[in-house]
Amino acid sequence: MLKLIRDWVVRSNKSERLWLLAKIEFKLRYYENKLGLFWALLKPIMDICIYYVAFKVILKSDIPHFASYLFIALILWNFFIESTAGTIQILNTKKYLYQYSNMNKLEIYVSTLFANSIGFYFNILMFLVFYNLVETQFEGMSWYNLWIIPLFLNLFILSLGISLILSTIYIVAKDISQVWAVFTSFLFFLSPIFYKLETFSNALPGFMYANPISGILVNARYVMLFNSPPDFKLLWFDLLYALLFLMVGLIFLNKLGAKAAEKL
Amino acid sequence: MDKSIAIQAKNISKTFTIQEDSHNTVKHRLFNIFNPPRTKKVEALKMMSFEIKKGECVGLIGRNGCGKSTLTRLLAGVYPTDSGYIEINGSTLLLNLGVGMSHELTARENVYVSASVLGMKIKDIDLIFDKIISFAELEEFVDTKIKFFSSGMVARLGFSIAVNAGADIMFLDEIFAVGDMIFQEKAVKVFESSWIEGKTVIMVSHTMDVISKYCQRSAYMKNGRLEFFGDTQKAIEMYMIDNHMEVPAPPAPVVEPEVDAAAGSGAAAADADAAAAEPEV
Repeated sequence: MLKLIRDWVVRSNKSERLWLLAKIEFKLRYYENKLGLFWALLKPIMDICIYYVAFKVILKSDIPHFASYLFIALILWNFFIESTAGTIQILNTKKYLYQYSNMNKLEIYVSTLFANSIGFYFNILMFLVFYNLVETQFEGMSWYNLWIIPLFLNLFILSLGISLILSTIYIVAKDISQVWAVFTSFLFFLSPIFYKLETFSNALPGFMYANPISGILVNARYVMLFNSPPDFKLLWFDLLYALLFLMVGLIFLNKLGAKAAEKL
Repeated sequence: MDKSIAIQAKNISKTFTIQEDSHNTVKHRLFNIFNPPRTKKVEALKMMSFEIKKGECVGLIGRNGCGKSTLTRLLAGVYPTDSGYIEINGSTLLLNLGVGMSHELTARENVYVSASVLGMKIKDIDLIFDKIISFAELEEFVDTKIKFFSSGMVARLGFSIAVNAGADIMFLDEIFAVGDMIFQEKAVKVFESSWIEGKTVIMVSHTMDVISKYCQRSAYMKNGRLEFFGDTQKAIEMYMIDNHMEVPAPPAPVVEPEVDAAAGSGAAAADADAAAAEPEV
């Protein structure tokens, strides 16, 4: 563990390399297909349309400004899914990077999550456009919006930790991807993504604290939509969760991940 | 650690555990909790210790399946060791018919990624980029994905990256077998020029001329054991004597006692597995 951190800090071209790998990864994902970057913009819009029809039109949800309410939660959720479910096979697809040299595997994860962060950045820009120009009933932008940065950082650490755990388990149990797919759909419906916050916390008291991602979603709405500071108790709780997952993930990487070259 | 030492290996060994029936899914593991998978152990490397100094060119010889490739992977830090420890002082590069390249990326991207992994800065890669491409004779295919390349082209690119970017410690696995005659001549030429100056090289080859020409010290391996490490001529002699002797029966793989009866039925198959288990040049 200490060696890992020392190696990380001392080597000088690391940040450059992370950025290079992230750019290439992003390009591979979006510029290879016909829709290109357009798809990155289209996907959240389509998701929102589906849930809007289901919950607003059919179920007559009474949440005001439901589209923005969904938008901010969904782009955060999509980042989480892309960075966890999307990276389960990372040690397999990125084998060429570590099979011929003693490169630190953690870089592979961080660069892939950076690539996802670029996608998230485009999504948040779209959100700001939508929220300021389309659904304009809100109070508009404020300094509280900047809280989204630490909240995103929290999500990044959480995703990195879970990604490390899942992808190293993949070395010994290939069907972890199916298990995780079921688990995430479970988590999706147990997170306050399209429920009203009071309904959610009344139905499942305390669950806000048991679910490591729900606090991030709730706080993101506080700072982006309601122009209020985040719920600090939730924030600390979620940060603790994220760091815990990261620590377990790093242990898994050192124990299981070291065997990736010979087992995969 | 002594600064003049590139690699220090102390009491290292490696045993591969090969599962006969694959229990690599969650479902399989759950349904077979009381029925653990039958495993077979292959001792690829037996306890050994040695040091390689900085700037040395060391040969590594032995017959197929003796553990040469496994040893290079351990020393390069790609595989973890089972016992002991390896201290590696610098970046490593395993050159084995091409460095690690992604077939989904173009030649240009692969050059940047590989050179960056080897520890170079982007602006330094910019400087040598044209040199890498022209050495590999791939000027017309810079922005082509390498999945469309012929295997010779991929190998040439890999070799060219290794030559121009380099690493502190390089493991060269039959590198003179890359490309056509003309490219091979070029490869030998660059090898004899200043490329490996100041770098630590561990060379694996079945061509004794190459080993005796370039290596000051050599290691001779047999059945996963380091039989000799020292003077190159002596190592080659031992290897030659072994080659001309009657071919001994391959060593029986170490089979765990409780599965002995079950595995015994296919002793011949087990031997074949043992050989296949160990990646070889």
